[in-house]
Amino acid sequence: MITEFLERHKGKTSFLEHEVKGLLKDMGLSVPNGVFTAKGETLRLPAGLSYPLVAKVSSSKIASKSDVRGVRLGIRNENELETAVRELFEIEDAEGALIEETAPAGVEVIIGGIIDRQFGPVVMFGLGGVFVELSKDVAFALAPLTREDSHWIVRQVKSYRLLEGVRGRPPSDLNALSDIIVAVGEIISTGLIREIDLNPVAVYPRGALILDAKASPLPPG
Amino acid sequence: MSSLDFLFRPKTVALIGASHDERKLGGVILKNLLKFKGRLYPVNPKYDSLMGIKSYPSVDEVPEFIDLSLIMRPAEEIPALLKSHKGKARCAVVMSSGFSETGRGDIQDEIKKIGIETGVRILGPNCMGVYNPGERLDTLLLPAEKIGRPKKGNVGVVTQSGAILHCFFGIMKASNIGISKAATYGNAVDIDECDLYEYFSRDRRTDVVISYIESVGDGRRFLEAAKGLSGEKTLLILKAGKGSSGEAAAYSHTGRLAGRYEVFTSLLKQFGIKEVRDFDEMADAVKALSYQRPSKGNRVLIITNGGGSGVLAADECMRQGLEAPPLPPEKTARLKETFPPFYAIHNPLDLTAQVEDGDYLTALSELKDDFDGFVVIALAGVPGITEGLSAMIADFKKKTDRPIVFHTTCGCGEGKLISAFERSGIPVYPSPERAVRAMKALLGER
Repeated sequence: MITEFLERHKGKTSFLEHEVKGLLKDMGLSVPNGVFTAKGETLRLPAGLSYPLVAKVSSSKIASKSDVRGVRLGIRNENELETAVRELFEIEDAEGALIEETAPAGVEVIIGGIIDRQFGPVVMFGLGGVFVELSKDVAFALAPLTREDSHWIVRQVKSYRLLEGVRGRPPSDLNALSDIIVAVGEIISTGLIREIDLNPVAVYPRGALILDAKASPLPPG
Repeated sequence: MSSLDFLFRPKTVALIGASHDERKLGGVILKNLLKFKGRLYPVNPKYDSLMGIKSYPSVDEVPEFIDLSLIMRPAEEIPALLKSHKGKARCAVVMSSGFSETGRGDIQDEIKKIGIETGVRILGPNCMGVYNPGERLDTLLLPAEKIGRPKKGNVGVVTQSGAILHCFFGIMKASNIGISKAATYGNAVDIDECDLYEYFSRDRRTDVVISYIESVGDGRRFLEAAKGLSGEKTLLILKAGKGSSGEAAAYSHTGRLAGRYEVFTSLLKQFGIKEVRDFDEMADAVKALSYQRPSKGNRVLIITNGGGSGVLAADECMRQGLEAPPLPPEKTARLKETFPPFYAIHNPLDLTAQVEDGDYLTALSELKDDFDGFVVIALAGVPGITEGLSAMIADFKKKTDRPIVFHTTCGCGEGKLISAFERSGIPVYPSPERAVRAMKALLGER
């Protein structure tokens, strides 16, 4: 599945969000319902996509969407959507926009994979969001990961108890989380992907949704 | 690699670059090797004999096959010298520096290639070689009369840095613990920590291995080897170079967060390999683990004659994830009947300044099966504490297989008490916190 994906996107230096999400969806993981519109294409909203919506700029050249003000939240109707998409297309290097249903709030985690120079493919897990690089509350494990490894890595972070449910919140679905961690382990241990970042992933009492995803292939040779 | 026996237990040793001058490194090593049990062949084209031993002009002239050749010559000479070892030697220790660490990675790559071509196994370059007191084999660049060696014992040392071996000798002597074998492997073109771990995992004289690492080559092979050794002995790893961060320019959060050390320390945990944070933690842990077998559990009894020391010990237990739970009610009741009313029968169990030696034994015997480990604190300035205490605690130690560590003041004339404890296999620490951290090391299983 992963090799087919790479074949399809051969020659790219990084993949667009909806492409990575497509792969994850094919692997049986959950992502928000949405549609990608390339720059210049007429916006065509599929039936069954319900407001409020989120629109995000898509570009292989933009590393952080929030840094270029490339995210629009809480879009309530067609007018707002058109404005949002028009603005996103005006951002430098924009290749398109991804429009998705707004996901409910959950515990936000980051799941990533890299090829470490000493250890090869490695998976990272941490409590996520845009501030993960400040908190640095993350742990690593050698890929691929067994289910047991995936439970282990989750328990390594200091804020693990957030997932167990604190202050009256219900516990998060650790099995759904585990599915995603194991899948990232599979992806990175093919040795064909250089970096992959799922951040944030929202974990709910039942299920988990990958809200943002990016990945880049190993440079050829 | 089936065995590194020829490295640690050679029958024949050659020293290339031997000198009669004790101020030169070739002279220091030769002098240390004079006690070697096997046959020694100094090599130096300028002399017929060095320090009273017949000397040879070249490796070729050495009259028999060399198990271990020690090379102390400038880096540029090493490739040619190594080639001359083909068919003549099994293993060479390249002690000289001046390779990748000083920008001469080219010579290092060349000697790596020569090693593969000639079949000569290489330790180093840029290392101090090996120490095996059992064979009186001492290739270290440290004059034995200046730097005393630890006694024979059960601790194996695997270190990338010779300087750190020097420092380990200091803590081993100060802690009254002994060494089984040591190897320093420097830039590791061939024999590396993995080969050495494998050797130590089968070494009957070794119970604990301490390992100082700056970098590993093949990370996955390292994890497997370290896990393998950890299954047979206690392995403690001290990793230097914790500061290097992830790649600032990386494309992902993961890439920026994946610092070399962050990944390293996580993977050690994943594989159940023990890491110590710093040199001091290594010193305290290796002492405890050399004296006593690791055990399991996390319920600790603190027994003290100083209230403050007991509280500090309890605080450290909390930080280390150890518990100091209350005594079982029936034991509390019984101890209250036995002891004066002003003893505090809790955990910490405070026997106060009016304690007598025998009270420790009474309490410990009563609570022998209720805890996983015992932190015993006896401030020696109290009139009731005598050297007899050590015999009592030693007696108690025979009746339990659970760890016991001891804290007393150090440096106020308690020398005899301390050595009496350590002779009976109970490690002594100068602070309550360090005693508790030693207990944590002992309760880490293996």
